[in-house]
Amino acid sequence: MSFGLLDRRLLVVVGAGGVGKTTLAAALGLASARGGTATLVMTFDPSLRLKDALGVGAEAQAHETRVAVDAPAPLHVSLLDARATFDALVRRYAPDDAAATRIFENRFYRHLAGTLAGVLEYMAVERLFEVARDPRFARVILDTPPTRQALDFLEAPERITGFLDSGALRFARREWFDAEGRLKVTRLGPLGRGLAAWLDRLVGLDLLRDMVEFFQAFGPLYDGFHERATEVRRLLRGRQTGFLLVAGPGEERIPDTLFFARRLRDAGHDLRLIVVNQTHPQLPAGVVTPGLSLMAWLGERDRRGLDALGRLLGPGDPSASLPLLPETPTGLPALEALGHLLLERLPPAPRRK
Amino acid sequence: MDLAQRLRRQELVVVTGKGGVGKTTVSLALGSLLAAHGRRVVVLETDPRESLHQLADTAPSGGEIVRAGPRLSIQNVQPRSVLEELVHERVRIAALARRIVASPIFENFAAGAPGLKELAVLVHARRLVHGKRRRGDVVVLDAPATGHGVSLLAAPQLVTEVIGRGPVGEMAQELAALVADPERCAVVIVTLAEEMAVQEAIELIALLRQRVARRPDLVLVNGLYPPLPDRPPAPPPGAGGAMELWAARRAANERELERLGAAWKGARVELPLVPIERSPALVAALRSLLVGEGA
Repeated sequence: MSFGLLDRRLLVVVGAGGVGKTTLAAALGLASARGGTATLVMTFDPSLRLKDALGVGAEAQAHETRVAVDAPAPLHVSLLDARATFDALVRRYAPDDAAATRIFENRFYRHLAGTLAGVLEYMAVERLFEVARDPRFARVILDTPPTRQALDFLEAPERITGFLDSGALRFARREWFDAEGRLKVTRLGPLGRGLAAWLDRLVGLDLLRDMVEFFQAFGPLYDGFHERATEVRRLLRGRQTGFLLVAGPGEERIPDTLFFARRLRDAGHDLRLIVVNQTHPQLPAGVVTPGLSLMAWLGERDRRGLDALGRLLGPGDPSASLPLLPETPTGLPALEALGHLLLERLPPAPRRK
Repeated sequence: MDLAQRLRRQELVVVTGKGGVGKTTVSLALGSLLAAHGRRVVVLETDPRESLHQLADTAPSGGEIVRAGPRLSIQNVQPRSVLEELVHERVRIAALARRIVASPIFENFAAGAPGLKELAVLVHARRLVHGKRRRGDVVVLDAPATGHGVSLLAAPQLVTEVIGRGPVGEMAQELAALVADPERCAVVIVTLAEEMAVQEAIELIALLRQRVARRPDLVLVNGLYPPLPDRPPAPPPGAGGAMELWAARRAANERELERLGAAWKGARVELPLVPIERSPALVAALRSLLVGEGA
């Protein structure tokens, strides 16, 4: 079945938490491989049952894992794990084992890599750079963390280049400490001693030493990282990249959906389709029995949401809706059925002026 | 012991859970319940996109404390602005403080330093119930979605490990003690009875034990499809699908409640899916459902 307006080499699936992004990404991946396109699905946080259904485990964090499915083209899945990717990166680029060990034991590194803020996004950029040029995959479907973090995620390349260009790193990489681990106060100018004492009181010089050591140990990675981040930045805005925004049903979600759509467009991304997922069926008029009043209300709420969104979106903003399924599809046949259902419901691509 | 009693002493109630489970609505309902029991409450929202004011029926907070009812206020607070405020307090020379705050190094440090933003939110919350600028007896904190919610609670400990002394280290130590003390800080996990949400709730309980050495005070299951009537009416023509959907969703809810029950034996509250739009009326409905719960 044709991918129609979703036919892009890189398809990025974005949206708020709990709206079914990961399931849809997997469903589309399956439909894509069945349609004869070699496909990779990159995801962050699939449910246990989805992992079971796809037959992938922890090994998918290290490399792309092939899904055992009978299709004319292969389907691979990779799981993004910040810590594992970060560690692998250190091992790959560290000049020797001793240098790698020094980084692993660095207090700053342990905490930095342990807290997910930002690191996951940096690492995702790193992985995306690798798979985007991998000839094994004709289509890459990228699942992203929930909304707020997805924005972080998309902005990660800018933040990385901004950080690398800010001078903060050059500043941190100067030789601040002498061989005995004492701060070279002369580097701080005439106020050296006073400033050093102030810094020591405020956060402790140990921390600064750890930070400087960390940045120095990472030295060899900077240039490559800068280059890759710039490349990914371009890739996310390229002609072969499209975005699929998944939204929850109900009027209350509309501001979120529109906000996100606008942010994507403003950032120069190509939003191909908005999918309103998990909508309740509308009951036929006049059949409201007491037992069904909640279901009637939910069906009504979701219809109002769809109508309102339809009015707010222009003709240049294609949208589609998918029903709430009795069970979240986790088996391969159910996933594939969901993928095909979405492809069937795709509106025609709008004509761009 | 019901909910209001269970939370009668704590000065901080952290409400956490997966995105999209109704944390903000539940936070306000809880805050409003505590206010009705005579405590002065500030409900804190950290999402940069304000939505709490819509539920509280007030003007947007824009960083200010806004009155939302008897003994009840709301505030939207951004970690970044708390950090800037702290710099201004520490560096007494205004011009120098402004330069620090505007520098790219501060920018990157604030965005990237592990635990700093989370610590700032907790510092702010504590100041609302302590000291000169005290504004209430208890803060209900609508924490960022899980992963990040644990980071918030683990931030003080993390910072004390990295910065052992000095004013920052001391502040972090104080907050670590607060977060670890069930007499002063309560943790409420909100979830839906759906696979992913329950999975995250179970992981969150384990992470809390691992990283902050404590357990939640309450797990609140939101948005349950109600049980089918004992003798379900024959669905009218065209409504059979809705009936089946309801039955399947309820069955999935029950399965997940059971899974949650196997992992968590502590206090649990169940709230049904209420046919009211996300609005002040929904908050009022949830609040009345919470009365007498949590025993």
